[in-house]
Amino acid sequence: MKIGIPHSLLYFYYYPLWKTYFETLGFEIITTPPTSKEIVDKGVKNSVPELCVPIKVYIGHVLKLVESEVDFIFVPRFVSIQKGQYFCPKFMGLPEMIRHSFKGIEEKMLMPSIEANDENIATMMNFKIFEEKFGISTKENKLALEKAKRVWISFRAYCREGYSASEASDLAMGKAVEKQLTIESSNNLTIGLVGYVYNIYDPYISLDIFKRLREMGVNVKTFEMLSEAEMNKQLKKLSKNLFWTFSDKLLAAGYSFYENQEIDGLIHVTAFGCGPDSMLGKLLEIDSATYNKPFMTVRVDEHSGENHLQTRIEAFVDMLKRKKMRQKRGA
Amino acid sequence: MKVSFPYMGTTVVYKKLLELLGHDVIMPPKPSQRTINLGVKYSPEFACFPLKVIMGSYFEAIEKGAEVIITSGGHGPCRAGFYEQVHQRILKEEGLPAKFMVFNSMFRDFNNFYDNIITLKGKNSWLKVSRSLLLVYNMTKKLDKLEKQVQTIRAYEVKKGETTRAWEKIQDLFDRAYTKKELEGAYAEGKKLLDDIKLIEVPEEKKLRIGIVGEIYVVMESSINMKMEELLGNLGAEVERSQYLSQWITYNAIPSFINKTHETEILEKGGRYLPIQIGGHAKQTIGHIVDYSERGFDGVVHLMPFGCLPELVSQSIVPKITEELGIPVLTLAIDEQMGTANNTTRIEAFIDLIKGKRAKKIS
Repeated sequence: MKIGIPHSLLYFYYYPLWKTYFETLGFEIITTPPTSKEIVDKGVKNSVPELCVPIKVYIGHVLKLVESEVDFIFVPRFVSIQKGQYFCPKFMGLPEMIRHSFKGIEEKMLMPSIEANDENIATMMNFKIFEEKFGISTKENKLALEKAKRVWISFRAYCREGYSASEASDLAMGKAVEKQLTIESSNNLTIGLVGYVYNIYDPYISLDIFKRLREMGVNVKTFEMLSEAEMNKQLKKLSKNLFWTFSDKLLAAGYSFYENQEIDGLIHVTAFGCGPDSMLGKLLEIDSATYNKPFMTVRVDEHSGENHLQTRIEAFVDMLKRKKMRQKRGA
Repeated sequence: MKVSFPYMGTTVVYKKLLELLGHDVIMPPKPSQRTINLGVKYSPEFACFPLKVIMGSYFEAIEKGAEVIITSGGHGPCRAGFYEQVHQRILKEEGLPAKFMVFNSMFRDFNNFYDNIITLKGKNSWLKVSRSLLLVYNMTKKLDKLEKQVQTIRAYEVKKGETTRAWEKIQDLFDRAYTKKELEGAYAEGKKLLDDIKLIEVPEEKKLRIGIVGEIYVVMESSINMKMEELLGNLGAEVERSQYLSQWITYNAIPSFINKTHETEILEKGGRYLPIQIGGHAKQTIGHIVDYSERGFDGVVHLMPFGCLPELVSQSIVPKITEELGIPVLTLAIDEQMGTANNTTRIEAFIDLIKGKRAKKIS
């Protein structure tokens, strides 16, 4: 049996886990190709105009899967992965948006509700529904989950070593071998890239900003490279944290980047119409002056012109370089 | 202590409660173009519209001398729970350090909740507090009752605008009532005002009923939803809102396990399309559309602030409901563009379509 997983949203964070789990149970995993113009167009045509780009892209991927010969489409409902916190309402209602919008898709959809106490979602509660659905025993399920968990934990470990999420994902699943990370950047600049995994690592949405920065010889730090302890330290300082887990992580990462002397500037990559980002972006923007560190917002949408982005990040990097040079001269 | 609060719906109620407790209330002005301009200028660009309007309200209230702002908090998943944090930061940034008194869920941080209550209580006795609460609650119920009548008769008034004027007068009457007796008097007088309005006789089968659903702020606050109720009323439609203040209070004040209010029923009706609560009023919106359809309403106007997260989900589900239940729904996103011609045209067309649909059914 073939299970289709859309190459979008939290695919970039949980793919190693999902793939290992389903493959251990003997399913074939089909994923969609990376986002392309065709997929975006499909999503845009078939969704409510005001939705944010990542969700539109996701809908495009789901429709792409419908066309290909898959038996099931995996559309999990993310509710919470931390006590007292949630996901953006659009994640919580994602299966509804899809199953009520397209005829005949509901029978194909696998919609587990994901509720866990921490990031590790490979728990029995979340995957119990598959036992009945696919006639697998609790023991098999348990074994598959354990294996999935191991792979995912190694994925997170690679992230913390400084690999990008896509590199870490390949490494964890044994698709790539560890290579020397070129941490020593040519111009000794480090930029904190604040943004969700599904924006930053989707080469179409973010126009591959991660790679572009690296090609300019800049070191890039993202939130998934930080340790849990560092995040929590930052979050404790807030009088009230954001109640969306990933936004919370971004906010913590943002403050951590502000405090970290090695980081020269911050770029916030946000999608047009992102609700949580409108709040967190403003807070980071206000604090940019407090910490005296440059901060730039890059807002992406379904348009694909890349020149503006190239120009803006080049200008930003140049500005950081000059600032650094001035500081060195002691001016 | 000079207190103020966000402006929403029949504000006379909150004002009354605070006044009864002996606080000096600074009424925020009714949201105007200036309020919105101020809000838009200082708020994050992509924040939802209520945040911007409330931001503007705060600026205006502080201008008028407010020192403490009382507002509700929240813990998501809707953005409204984080409003107060952003508002506080922005006000501080602009050099207007107003003190905030935020009511979060008492189950999360009881001490803070209790402190707030004590501060508000001041030197009043608990007896006085409970009496004031009761009075205000009764007032809300009475106002809602009259408002429902307003929404019905506005469609049939002989002299256009008479009902709206009467409604304004009623709010003024209630504003001056401070005791139970005065409240009864205000209610009787208001009721008489409404009963005296001359109405056109319309046969039952020709009556049009439209429900308004959506996010609470844009549904309740007429100054920012382009006076939707008036507009629909003037086009000859009876109107019912999904949100009334008294319902909201009862629903939120009663613990969930013994909660048998209208709202729980609505939530059950929405369950078919949306199994869990996703924040804001998305599930209520869905439930109310189902409810209106079951009660034979002719159509539903769905209002949401531009970019509202939960309502976008309900908007995505709406076509399916229309298809299954056959109730026409018009979704309108409300934002800082205050030009009314666009939406007036859409509403007129919507009403025409409903009338056309009905004519077809009869012939």
